[in-house]
Amino acid sequence: MESGNMAHPKNPAVFSIQHFCLHDGPGVRSIVFLKGCPLRCAWCQNPESWKASPDIAFKAHLCIDCKTCVNACPQDAIAAPGVRDVHKCDLCFTCVENCPSGAMTCFGKYYTPESLMEELRPEFPFFGNTGGGVTFSGGEPTLFSGFVADLANRLHEEEIHTALETCGYFDPQKDIRFLSDIDLVLFDIKLYDEAEHSKYCGKSNTDIKKNLTRLAALSFSGTGPGIWPRLPLIPSITDTHENLTGWAEFLNNIGISFLTLVPYHNMGGPKRQWLNLPSAPEFPTLTDESLRASINLLRENGISCFAPGEEDWANSGLKT
Amino acid sequence: MNPPLGSTVLTQRKEREIPEPLPSLNTPTKRISAIREELLNTRYSICLERPLLLEKFKTSPQGRRARSSHPLIRRARAISYILSHRAPKIYDNELIIGNMTSKQVAANYYPEGGSINIMEDLFRLENRQVPIHLTFWEKIQLAKIGFKTSLSSVGGKTLLRPGRFSHFLDFFRAKRYFITEEAGIGHQVGNYMDVVHNGLVRSDMKAKQCLETGTLGNGAPLSGDQKAFFESVRIVIEGIRKMAENLADAAERKAKEPEITDERRKELLSSAAACRHVPYFPARTFLEGLQSCWLVHVALNLEDFEQGMSFGRLDQILYPLYCREMENGRLNAEKAAEIMAGFQLKTCETMPLYSERIDQYFSGNAVAQGITVGGTGADGNDATNELSALILDAFAQIRTREPALHVRVHENTPAWFLEKAVEVVQLGCGKPSFFGDPAVIRALENAGMTTEHARDYAVIGCVEMASQGRTYNSSDACLFNLPLCLELALNEGRRFSGWNPLRKRFGADSLPVAQMRSFEDVVAAFRVQVNDAVGEMVRVISWLEKTYRVVRPTAINSIVTEGCLDKGADVTWGGGLYDLTSIQVAGLADAGDSLYAIKKLVFEEKRMSLSSLVEILKNNFSGHESLRRELVNKFSHYGNGIKEVDTMTQLAADIYSDAILSHKNTRGGQYVPGIYSMTCHIGFGRKTGALPSGRPAGARLSNGLSPIDGLDRCGPTAVLRSAASLDSSKWANCCALNMKFDKKIVSGKTGRKALSGIFRTYFDQGGMQVQVNVLDADTLRAARRDPSAHPGLVVRVAGYCAYFNDLQPTVQEEIIERTAHGIG
Repeated sequence: MESGNMAHPKNPAVFSIQHFCLHDGPGVRSIVFLKGCPLRCAWCQNPESWKASPDIAFKAHLCIDCKTCVNACPQDAIAAPGVRDVHKCDLCFTCVENCPSGAMTCFGKYYTPESLMEELRPEFPFFGNTGGGVTFSGGEPTLFSGFVADLANRLHEEEIHTALETCGYFDPQKDIRFLSDIDLVLFDIKLYDEAEHSKYCGKSNTDIKKNLTRLAALSFSGTGPGIWPRLPLIPSITDTHENLTGWAEFLNNIGISFLTLVPYHNMGGPKRQWLNLPSAPEFPTLTDESLRASINLLRENGISCFAPGEEDWANSGLKT
Repeated sequence: MNPPLGSTVLTQRKEREIPEPLPSLNTPTKRISAIREELLNTRYSICLERPLLLEKFKTSPQGRRARSSHPLIRRARAISYILSHRAPKIYDNELIIGNMTSKQVAANYYPEGGSINIMEDLFRLENRQVPIHLTFWEKIQLAKIGFKTSLSSVGGKTLLRPGRFSHFLDFFRAKRYFITEEAGIGHQVGNYMDVVHNGLVRSDMKAKQCLETGTLGNGAPLSGDQKAFFESVRIVIEGIRKMAENLADAAERKAKEPEITDERRKELLSSAAACRHVPYFPARTFLEGLQSCWLVHVALNLEDFEQGMSFGRLDQILYPLYCREMENGRLNAEKAAEIMAGFQLKTCETMPLYSERIDQYFSGNAVAQGITVGGTGADGNDATNELSALILDAFAQIRTREPALHVRVHENTPAWFLEKAVEVVQLGCGKPSFFGDPAVIRALENAGMTTEHARDYAVIGCVEMASQGRTYNSSDACLFNLPLCLELALNEGRRFSGWNPLRKRFGADSLPVAQMRSFEDVVAAFRVQVNDAVGEMVRVISWLEKTYRVVRPTAINSIVTEGCLDKGADVTWGGGLYDLTSIQVAGLADAGDSLYAIKKLVFEEKRMSLSSLVEILKNNFSGHESLRRELVNKFSHYGNGIKEVDTMTQLAADIYSDAILSHKNTRGGQYVPGIYSMTCHIGFGRKTGALPSGRPAGARLSNGLSPIDGLDRCGPTAVLRSAASLDSSKWANCCALNMKFDKKIVSGKTGRKALSGIFRTYFDQGGMQVQVNVLDADTLRAARRDPSAHPGLVVRVAGYCAYFNDLQPTVQEEIIERTAHGIG
């Protein structure tokens, strides 16, 4: 049974640790997903990452209607399976602990750096033979830069490669030393136009562009981690001519000639239901043709495109 | 002439540098495509030639004379008669000749063994899930053969006796164990090193000399049995020579046909020349080497039965011939790959004969003719060579259900070779499987082999073990239902359900649950039941072994097993240098996870008494679905890298292994355990009650060393960690760890590097075996229609991986489309 969900206020909540990941940095990797994100991208596939604190989700398809949750709740917050009064609920997770079917699920578990290292350590031998390591993702891991820096440092002490996946939305004045034990930054970019970015992601992209510029400069001067941009391809939103050429020019200006394209799939829908969140807007499915068109357009504008997991890390000239 | 290599040659020095870069030889030639297409378009059938010849022999003058001879001679004459009288068939395009049956793709019918089971399907052969086609006349013949020989099989002869009848019935109601040895022993990696390089002439001359001098090689005088043995050796060699000559005649006849092209005529004549030379004389060329192996393989199949007849380390065996011909320019890599692909296609001519009832235990139509490549030499150094890669390439050309391919991995296995093997896995045929040399060699040493001999191991059939050419391993003697023993332990030796008005015990009398005070009491009762079932099983197998010596000795097998000619004893009489009987287990993870659940629920958390839990199990969790779900979802399970539950799987494995290892067979050989289950986990599961792991009654059991389906929730690396953490040093018949991957996750260079990397780590950590299925969109569709078809299938969902069954239907559909598109 899940336990140890005692709050560690200064540590982030982890909503998933996934092993054998091949698409978020070189080799076989374990990804630590931290909860809490400043953006609210309309297409987000991990809505459980938004809130920094743990969430209770209800997976209706697993429920056997045993009503254990209803009877177990000390606050009487659950009227029927899946019907939880969020005002009464004080997130004690008694319902989750007692649910036999796994329909009541907790997203978010607090770890100390030590306990997270213990969770990750058994996977270390797999990294060595594949050039893999640990990737911090989210949510937005830069929200917890102290925790991430501490863990990255512990990982480096055991010679484990580290990567950090960021949406780039953090204070451009932020002390960059928290990246000193990060080998590679996977930097997500979305919309080039600021108004569009605010519309679809909920925040301006000015700081994101500043941070990308700053990290690229650090990387190319050999004083920062390697950097690799990634762009989710959302049909008719991020794969437009203006957006792709806008980013291509921007990347060229800061000396980056490569980009990972992450094709969009509508996988976040069920999770929003589990969390009782409004449904995500529908976006058309990405077709092979439009993917190819995007790749060609970017190539014409001097950017080589890669699929996730197929990046040419070795030839990028970056510290990886 | 070849320099004699001797029967104990273990490895050759590397005569050639491995070319850099290695040529890729995985494109089939026109010839290979044509043969493959013909085989795939041929309908499955049953060959009746062998049983008819056997009948004919019995009434022939030789047959009548043989009735009064020594059983070894009687049997040798019968086999020799079959070999020398069977009609030779030469198929279009083939370079290696020698038909396995009288039809291009068919099962041989063995009246001595289990073939009789097909009678259950006699009237619906064409309507089976895997149809079998026979003419009306053939069906009548088949019925006649079945009727006449039904009581003369080894099983019938052994068990249709007073006091043994209920054991006979067990074949139809398999529960605690399923004795496969009744069908035949098969399962051999013959000494092809000796056959290819010395020819059968060496054995023939040795037998001749012993008979002439009346003594064994060591000077001891021959007993009557030994004399009969050496005669039987010479008789079957004569039969094999005659079979080869008949094939040579047929090839020459075919070469004379007017429509034959000049090029094909040349090929036929060279095949004929090869068959006039091998397998009696040493092979002179690469082609002759394979032709020699093939003919002896056919003979072994016709002598005993088809299961698990394997070739061993062909990359080592053929290497000297390959090198010599490459150096003198008579062979190039492309031609060698074509010959090898053609050889591998020959293995598709045969199939097993199972009724649909039996098929649930052994599904997949595999006879598993194993080829092993890579690994270390006797000196412990890496022995991977050019041929190791060429054999894999040849399979990549054909991608058929046979042969079985096995790759040995050790710390100095070259990275290029491991990646090449993974490249073949990526093709999606589930081959090759991978074996960790250190773990396998340690287990074989524990079973009594010398280090050098253990290092020369080759895989029998699917995963079983032999030191090639030195071992008589009844490697698939019996499959064992471990969780059922736990059911019996929780009910004083009775099953939870089933009609049992007399309250008869199915197992041993063990402590009633009401009197069990501690977890140790449960373990003790479990041990009592396992020991009882193993003891009972050994008793039945011992009866069969005695029948085998008289009814079904195997002289050809004895020629290709070191030790027999020295001792003057058939393998069934204990002639082999190493003699083993191997028992396989199904439901290991179910047993381990159930022990864990009992320990935690009853004895640690004290949530209910053991008696209450057992009542719930007897009622198949009826009214307690939430407890069942909790056991499944909230309790830890083997396969997630969690030590406290993995140690329970170890405990279950040790109880089983210790029970097996405490017995010797009647040949003086050791019983050894293996951890794999064919598809017996399905058949056994139907007969097994509800388990504390949360598994309902009748559901399939876990297979081999794999976790319970769908309960490995932390991804493939965690499964590998759990498996590698178990002590495999007792498992001399190896284990099978099945893993499934979405093609999309493990495709391309990224997937190749990732898989080869994690397998290397697994073997570094002491892993013994792993086999991989790479699944595509069609498979995923099947998984969606029937979630139980592919539990534990990991798919990539956006940035993360998930179990396919865990996904909602809409997402599943999305993934299927994506997989079909090949984007993402």
